[in-house]
Amino acid sequence: MGVLLAAIPLLPAAAFALLGPMSRELRNRAKWVSIVAMSASLALAVVAFVQAWLAPAHGEGARVVFHAFAPIAPGGAFGFGLLLDPVSAVMLIVVTVVGLAVQVYSLGYMHSDERVGWYYAVLSLFSAAMLAVVLADNFLMLYMAWEVMGLCSYLLIGFWHTEEGPRKASIKAFLVTRVGDIGFALGLAAMFALTRSFAFDKVLPAATAWAPGAATLVALLLLFGAMGKSAQFPLHVWLPDAMAGPTPASALIHAATMVAAGVYLVARALPIFVASGVALSVTLLIGIVTALLGGSLALVQYDIKKVLAYSTISQLGYMFVALGTASEVAGLYHLVTHAFFKSLLFLGAGVIIHSTHTQDMREMGGLRKKMPVTTGVFTIGALALAGVFPLSGFFSKDEILASLLRGHHYAFFGFALLAALLTAFYVTRLWVRVFWGTGSDHAHEGHRVMLAPMVVLAAITLVIGFASVAFAGFLGHEVEWPEVGLAAASTFTALAGIGAGWWVYAMGKVDTAEVRERLRLLYLVLQQKYYMDRLYEAAFVKPFEKVAGAFAWFDLGVIDGAVNGAAALWVRATQLSWRFDVSVIDGGVNRLADAVVDAGERLRRLQSGSVQSYQRLVLGAVVLLLAWVMVLWPALKAVLKGA
Amino acid sequence: MKVGLDAFILLATALFSVGLFGALSKRSAIMVLMALELMANAVNILLVAASRYVTPATMDGWFFAVFSLVVSAAEIGLGLSLVLALYRKVRTAELDRLETLKG
Amino acid sequence: MSWILSAIVFLPLAGALAAAMLPKESGGAAKWLAAVVAGVDLVLVAVLVAVFDVGKGMQFVTDVVWVPQAHIRYHLAVDGISITMLALSALLSFVAVLASWKVESKPSTYFAMLLLLEVGMNGVFVALDFVLFYVFWELVLVPMYFLISMWGGPRREYASLKFFLYTLFGSVFMLVGIVALFLIKGTFDITQLASAAPALLPHQQWWLFLAFFLGFAVKVPVWPLHTWLPDAHVEAPTAGSVLLAGVLLKMGTYGFIRIALPILPDAVTKGAGTLPPWQPILVVLATISIVYGAAVAFAQTDLKKLVAYSSVSHMGFVMLGIASLTPEGINGAVAVMFSHGLVTGLLFLMVGMVYERGHTRKIEDLSGLMPQVPRIGAVFALASFASLGLPGMSGFVGEFLSLLGGWQAATAKGALFSPVWVVVSAVGVLLAAAYMLWMVQRVVLGNPSRVVGAMDDMTGRELATVLPLVALTFVVGIYWSSLLRFVDPAVRALLAPFGGA
Repeated sequence: MGVLLAAIPLLPAAAFALLGPMSRELRNRAKWVSIVAMSASLALAVVAFVQAWLAPAHGEGARVVFHAFAPIAPGGAFGFGLLLDPVSAVMLIVVTVVGLAVQVYSLGYMHSDERVGWYYAVLSLFSAAMLAVVLADNFLMLYMAWEVMGLCSYLLIGFWHTEEGPRKASIKAFLVTRVGDIGFALGLAAMFALTRSFAFDKVLPAATAWAPGAATLVALLLLFGAMGKSAQFPLHVWLPDAMAGPTPASALIHAATMVAAGVYLVARALPIFVASGVALSVTLLIGIVTALLGGSLALVQYDIKKVLAYSTISQLGYMFVALGTASEVAGLYHLVTHAFFKSLLFLGAGVIIHSTHTQDMREMGGLRKKMPVTTGVFTIGALALAGVFPLSGFFSKDEILASLLRGHHYAFFGFALLAALLTAFYVTRLWVRVFWGTGSDHAHEGHRVMLAPMVVLAAITLVIGFASVAFAGFLGHEVEWPEVGLAAASTFTALAGIGAGWWVYAMGKVDTAEVRERLRLLYLVLQQKYYMDRLYEAAFVKPFEKVAGAFAWFDLGVIDGAVNGAAALWVRATQLSWRFDVSVIDGGVNRLADAVVDAGERLRRLQSGSVQSYQRLVLGAVVLLLAWVMVLWPALKAVLKGA
Repeated sequence: MKVGLDAFILLATALFSVGLFGALSKRSAIMVLMALELMANAVNILLVAASRYVTPATMDGWFFAVFSLVVSAAEIGLGLSLVLALYRKVRTAELDRLETLKG
Repeated sequence: MSWILSAIVFLPLAGALAAAMLPKESGGAAKWLAAVVAGVDLVLVAVLVAVFDVGKGMQFVTDVVWVPQAHIRYHLAVDGISITMLALSALLSFVAVLASWKVESKPSTYFAMLLLLEVGMNGVFVALDFVLFYVFWELVLVPMYFLISMWGGPRREYASLKFFLYTLFGSVFMLVGIVALFLIKGTFDITQLASAAPALLPHQQWWLFLAFFLGFAVKVPVWPLHTWLPDAHVEAPTAGSVLLAGVLLKMGTYGFIRIALPILPDAVTKGAGTLPPWQPILVVLATISIVYGAAVAFAQTDLKKLVAYSSVSHMGFVMLGIASLTPEGINGAVAVMFSHGLVTGLLFLMVGMVYERGHTRKIEDLSGLMPQVPRIGAVFALASFASLGLPGMSGFVGEFLSLLGGWQAATAKGALFSPVWVVVSAVGVLLAAAYMLWMVQRVVLGNPSRVVGAMDDMTGRELATVLPLVALTFVVGIYWSSLLRFVDPAVRALLAPFGGA
């Protein structure tokens, strides 16, 4: 089984390795390699799932650990190993099903793109990385695959790199998620310093014995990483921009799988969070803030993909809320249902964009007549998102609300209901603007290669809700069917949201322009995305550019200046010493000669040529000599002796 | 009054001073030569006197004096001939005009 | 088989002499000669790697008296750390010869210099006698000086002189240290110096460390002794840049690992009297190098300068790993050394290819390599991702392990420095992504600019030049043990003076 398990991520990886080095033409023709690999992965994933399901006892008993070529580094702590347990089995199914659906769908969507081969290659690499994330039996491997996913996300967001927008968005996505990844990496370091291991089965049991401070540190660092990947406040800013990529890629990466990896990470590391306690509260807080923030921002978007992007942010926040109550089941369950219905919505949006050639909802309308199939499946997805019985979203959301009540987080329960209300409202707004009324007359139904995957996803969304109890049991938890009271409350909230949306947008009972005018300030804040992009621009990006420039100036001007200055000083010193050499040492010699000449000049004047003057000189000399010999010298001697 | 060494020294000094003055101040080469002879003879007197009073037993001073007289005679002969030769060449015996040694 | 090390070191010398004696008109003979010599040398190193016994310490020892009067010995051997560096040196030398295929001015001198450079580089990594080490160390300067000053860019004279004087400045201090050690201990043998009596006093250790620090830190280069590097890199010919960044910088960090740490352990961890221990100083300088190098790289407009400053940043991770004094950290340091050799070599090769075709390195003049010349663009992008530390490629291994070691050292009991420095270093990983992606966005992606529009894609020879590096980048990045199984035992042996951490 181990080898087959390893084949699940390796097959798409092989597809990438095969497609990557090909020439463009060849690659475009060989894109089916990717689909074949993905299908095989799906088949194997099903086998793995069944095996896990049939394992003697659910939960702990269903673990298969397979060490591929571990360890990858000496010391034993660094290794690649695969772990098949109920959580990874479920995730495998989600990733492979959505992955294959998106790849099939892309046959139609990316049909005419001249770099479709590369697109498939990257999708394959992404699938491999995501599958490695969910199969990893240790945090290090999870992190490595996690980063590779980030690369794929970058490549797909910037797929149309000859345009400025996608290029910028791709960098932003990579960098913002990498901010989180720094936390993740440091979390790994902290974890390693504590246990000298990354393996789930070593770290997680040990976490309970850590000092609360240490556990909190590790948990918060990991949470920071998860926040980057899962677009949680305040690192959510990259996700809306990421919509610059091809829509099916958004469906796979930025709705269903990669952005949910953060949730998966926190769910995996939940024992550390529980050991900390504080970290749970932080997770809960981040989750609820994100849920409300995403929901409120989705209200004012006109770009259909951006509405869905903010909705994703909001729903991911919901999952974090669940994890914040230490309810792994609720978080993961919402992850699963959300993966299906949100990718469904994105694929639907793709069909719509394809057929209307616009992403602006104001230019759409009345599509329900032109595109009946799309309308049908999109509506299923939308209702699931809004949390309407009996669709999957209802069950998973209910689970989260129940977990809040169980944890006595009543205020958060209220906020969560508010977020649900917002969700129902903006979903209705979207649905009405796109499908109701009139507008896009030239629209046409999508190709069946695009519709088929959507229908499959819609079918899953329809039925999967009823698996909630089985799902929880599979994960080793006891979960009741929704309580009637709670179900009523959440259903009422969803219906209220839908009703309000319908009332405002479909029936036109409220003049939205007037509301905008009345709440101008609020609208402005929402439209400016709470000014967070601008804040980051002003607080981080621009200052960094300035600092970089300043450092470069400092480097050239000061450090190198000092070096050059020292060199110049040295040159100057050598010049000075040269000058000293010339002027003092060598000059001394010359000056002596000059002095001799000069003295000679002066002395020659003595030589009048007159013999008598010479005689006078001689006389003077003799007198002096006599004076010295007879007076001065004896006097000196006397003085010296006397002293 | 007894004539002692002091008297001779005084005489020699006076004679030397006269000679020196003449040698330094006279413009004519002849006069300068004569003055030189005065100075030389002042030295001769001193030699003889010193010999007589200081070392009476020996005659060293006398020999020096005689030697010096011979040399002086030759010297004067040479000097006069030089002056004559010079006079023939530059038509003067005035020392002020003779500056060819000037550096 | 102890002859093999001598053969590896001196075969290029024979090649250099032969190349230098080739007549000027011999045309392509010099490059073929150099390629064969460097190739055979690489094969010898490969053989060495194959027969190397990971479990044993120093191997293939040659230890004979060289200058008996001065106790100087001809002592060569390799352990797991030297062998990785030796392999890097031989590989990059071969790649450098291939990358110089189109050198037309005085080819025989040029290739003689390249081979002479290889002698010095190989020698430094296998010499275990201090004098021998120093000879090889200085031998490297000469050919590199000529490579820059004769085949370099417009400011080559300034750059070559700066490079020469700066590194000479550092090595003079090292020489003082070597002599001082000899006077105290009476031996030049690097392996014996650590254990030979008399034990060094704390102050002696501290000041000796300072001397060696100056010698090695200039070479690494550690901030703020780094400014020779951008100039030398930018002006050097492509092969020169590859070897400079790929191998020469590692000589400095190798010196720290091989010499400064084992011989002067107390200077690092204990200091002397009021003089602080060196560990926190090294950590702080490493952190500054990382962040500062990355920030300055971000502000560059010249491709080569950007890569050059990225080297400052990456070498900071090496220093961090070394300073951590943990097995993980030093394993990471060696891994970064190896990986940086591959990746930065690759980046310089790519910049060289672009420059050869477009005669510009200005980032603003270049864009759209990917659509116009997909192979160049792809390898360029690949190298950039490796450089920014993407897991699965070699850059990640070392940087991650260095951070791991740094954190461990910072949070251990009685740690000498704060984990904050490690956090700041980790931010360097983000900054690396920023400048690399910024560069990729401008140069590799987008629509082809005028200059790029006239380019042709990689030739077969160029592909052969880069492929080994690309392949190794992945091998090391995915299966770390391919590299670390050599390094780890040697690192643990080295750390014995620090209480066998």
